[in-house]
Amino acid sequence: MLSYLLAVAVVALIYSLMTLALNLQFGFTGLINFGVVGFFAIGAYTSALLSQAGLPLELTLPCAALAAGLAAWPVALLSLRLRIEYFAIVMLGYAETIRLVISQEEWLTGGVRGLPGIASLSVGLGIPGDPTLVAFALALACVVGAVLVSRRLVHSPFGRMIQAIRDDEDAVRALGKSPGRFKVAVFVVSCLFVGLSGGLYAHYITYLAPDQFGALLTFYIWVAMILGGAGSVGGALVGSAILLGFIEGSRFLHDLLPGVSAVEMSSVRLGVIGLSMMLLMRFRPQGLLGGKAGCG
Amino acid sequence: MGFSLFANLAFNGLITGLVVSLLALSITLVFGIARFPNAAAGDVATVGAFAGLLGPLAGGGTLWIILCGMAAGALLSVAFYFLLFRPLAGKSAVSSLIASIGMAFFVRAALTFFLGHDQRVYPLPIVRAMPVGPLRVQPTDIEIVVAAVLALAAVFSILHLTPIGKRMRAVADNAELARVSGIRANRVLVAMWLIAGLLAGLSGTLLGVKTVVSPEMGWDLLMPAFAATILGTIGNPVGAVLGGVLIGLAQELSTPFVGFTYKLGVGFLVLLVTLLIRPQGLFAKNSLVR
Amino acid sequence: MAEASLCVQGIRKHFGGVSVLEDVSFAAPAGGLSGMIGPNGAGKSTLFAIVTGFQAGDGGSVLFKGQDVTALPTVQRVRLGMARTFQVPREFGSLTVRENLMAAAPGQAGEKLRNVFFRPGWIRAEEAAIAAAAEEWLAFLNLERVADAPASSLSGGQRKLLELGRALMVRPAMILLDEPFAGVNPVLVGEISERIRELSAKGIGFLIVEHNLAALSRLVDRLFVLDRGRLLAEGAPAEVLADAAVREAYMGGSA
Ligand SMILES: Nc1ncnc2c1ncn2[C@@H]1O[C@H](COP(=O)(O)OP(=O)(O)OP(=O)(O)O)[C@@H](O)[C@H]1O
Ligand SMILES: [Mg+2]
Repeated sequence: MLSYLLAVAVVALIYSLMTLALNLQFGFTGLINFGVVGFFAIGAYTSALLSQAGLPLELTLPCAALAAGLAAWPVALLSLRLRIEYFAIVMLGYAETIRLVISQEEWLTGGVRGLPGIASLSVGLGIPGDPTLVAFALALACVVGAVLVSRRLVHSPFGRMIQAIRDDEDAVRALGKSPGRFKVAVFVVSCLFVGLSGGLYAHYITYLAPDQFGALLTFYIWVAMILGGAGSVGGALVGSAILLGFIEGSRFLHDLLPGVSAVEMSSVRLGVIGLSMMLLMRFRPQGLLGGKAGCG
Repeated sequence: MGFSLFANLAFNGLITGLVVSLLALSITLVFGIARFPNAAAGDVATVGAFAGLLGPLAGGGTLWIILCGMAAGALLSVAFYFLLFRPLAGKSAVSSLIASIGMAFFVRAALTFFLGHDQRVYPLPIVRAMPVGPLRVQPTDIEIVVAAVLALAAVFSILHLTPIGKRMRAVADNAELARVSGIRANRVLVAMWLIAGLLAGLSGTLLGVKTVVSPEMGWDLLMPAFAATILGTIGNPVGAVLGGVLIGLAQELSTPFVGFTYKLGVGFLVLLVTLLIRPQGLFAKNSLVR
Repeated sequence: MAEASLCVQGIRKHFGGVSVLEDVSFAAPAGGLSGMIGPNGAGKSTLFAIVTGFQAGDGGSVLFKGQDVTALPTVQRVRLGMARTFQVPREFGSLTVRENLMAAAPGQAGEKLRNVFFRPGWIRAEEAAIAAAAEEWLAFLNLERVADAPASSLSGGQRKLLELGRALMVRPAMILLDEPFAGVNPVLVGEISERIRELSAKGIGFLIVEHNLAALSRLVDRLFVLDRGRLLAEGAPAEVLADAAVREAYMGGSA
């Protein structure tokens, strides 16, 4: 039981890295990223492939973050040129296209058959001990780091300006400051978190396949962020915990309900995420805890 | 040889394109009047396609399949207008967009929960393709073209000839002005969601007639449809239809070069290039919006 | 008349088929107090938007401090010293009043991520200086009591003051105010006028669009009248208000 909880906690921590990132992008800056899972996939495959090429994890994990950041950069520039609704759609398509590339380029990614046998965190880093515990410690360290970075960023003059941009971009311009530079910086920096999260995921699950990177994952993260309250760093953590509680709880429930198949349970998860997106928008856009921003 | 291959690809592209057009028209109407990109349109099409499976119970042939699909699409669309999108009307477009993605997931979840993930086909007689010049034409292809063209003609007649259609265009032009001049927005919106649902349902069944019925079909159709909408200038009905045909042609004609999988990416590529070169789309002059 | 600070020449603008500004030209002196009146829909806010670069005109040019800024984006005009407020206040609602002002301080090193993470000491010193400047304007505008309240909780009049404070933080040579007295109670109108007069004495130029004729004509030394996109009259407030055409257009038009 304890090891099960620990395993769930690792995934929750990996997800909260993404929630923290999305929170910086949307919660604090108002940037809509519907392509979170694309950057996650880039991080995961980068780290997995580099480690299979013989690089140590101490290098591949930072590379995962960098690759996602690099992929985020042109996208961020694009966000400056497009109306917000257009950008949202482009991001959806961007993530789907990345998944398409992963499933198509078999020589590199193993295609739909997947990429098995990825070095686990404990083996790859040469840390002895229970692999789950090692993963937990590492993920926890990354999340703590990301929280510290987020807090420092948000409570700085830079953070003040991104919140001003979220509130009213034209008023920012009237002060003689271009919103663009800030938006690009936030987008790229937070995608570093997402890439790192993908790297950790690859070496924790040790197997990657394109169907792990569907659009649904992006909206898991959105729901986690909105639940915790957009524009609150602590809320991102709470939101991820609630979300993982639900996802894993549904697996648990499935063990208890013999009549429901695993496939049906996945429909239930999809349905509950869809329903919560509708209900949150309708009744509680500020989230359960009430962040500063909300999506109203 | 080369010519007949491309002629057949182009013909297929035209048919796919019409299917995309119908969904793009649905999206562009919603955008023009309710002012958000409706990501649930694809899954409404899926529901239409599944409802089409009931067609044979009502009567034989493609017609009943289509009617069942359109009815289901319309019902779903109007129901969600009242339950979801009307209460969200005063909030930002982003709220409605997120809610529409939620609706897409929810609808697909309900479908797969009760009906599973299996692909299905409509029980239509299998007929050998007839040669028309270099083309190999299925009788269902003709039916698809006829159905799509009739539907498009009907929608444009409604938009341009009936009072409710004129009011729709007025609201799309300037929501504030339309309100001041006493147009009852609620009726316009109900009519708009009804038409949007009919179109999505039709698009789903026609895709089902052409290929197979599966729970993911609508979501996969969504990106090409968005691409068509933006290519043809979002909010512009004529543009959406032409954009759809262009996307369909681009997808099919690129297949020999990029392969079957990347064909799905072509829609995205067209979308991206359009937005970079001409963010206002090809038909900005006649747009309903801005 | 002092050397012109803002010089607008032949500005035209139309929306669709409707012409909103037709060949508008005027000059506002550096450090002076100029006002602009005109009925609803005359094109005053549109003119502001074109002068500050939020919208592009269909023709004509804008000169600021002798430099042609017609092709410059808003942010560069602001950096030359042109600040503005909006007709409907656009405060940063989730920030406090103090943070609103501090955000407006120009050229902050703390707005670079590099410095945020690697030069915290520098930023702390800079923040202290910015906070002190903000404190001064808060006191000047009588906003000290609400300094730590979220800006979204302010009254309409306080928002107008907040926007003025933000504009002042930019250290502008000229401020364009779009209806600073609208929805503001009479006591506060007097107070804002007094502040504007003091700032003008310090050399900051003002161009003020306002419907409150009484308050405006007491405040400014030069008045422009815009009617249906055309400049109808200009001159000292008393003369302009006595002008028959102005009385016709303005009083007749809006009443
Ligand atoms: N973006 C726009 N599109 C179409 N018409 C516009 C737009 N902006 C302004 N107008 C029109 O231009 C005219 C001038 O508007 P403007 O806001 O400049 O007037 P104003 O003098 O500031 O009026 P008020 O005293 O009411 O603030 C109005 O008729 C308005 O309807
Ligand atoms: Mg105005």
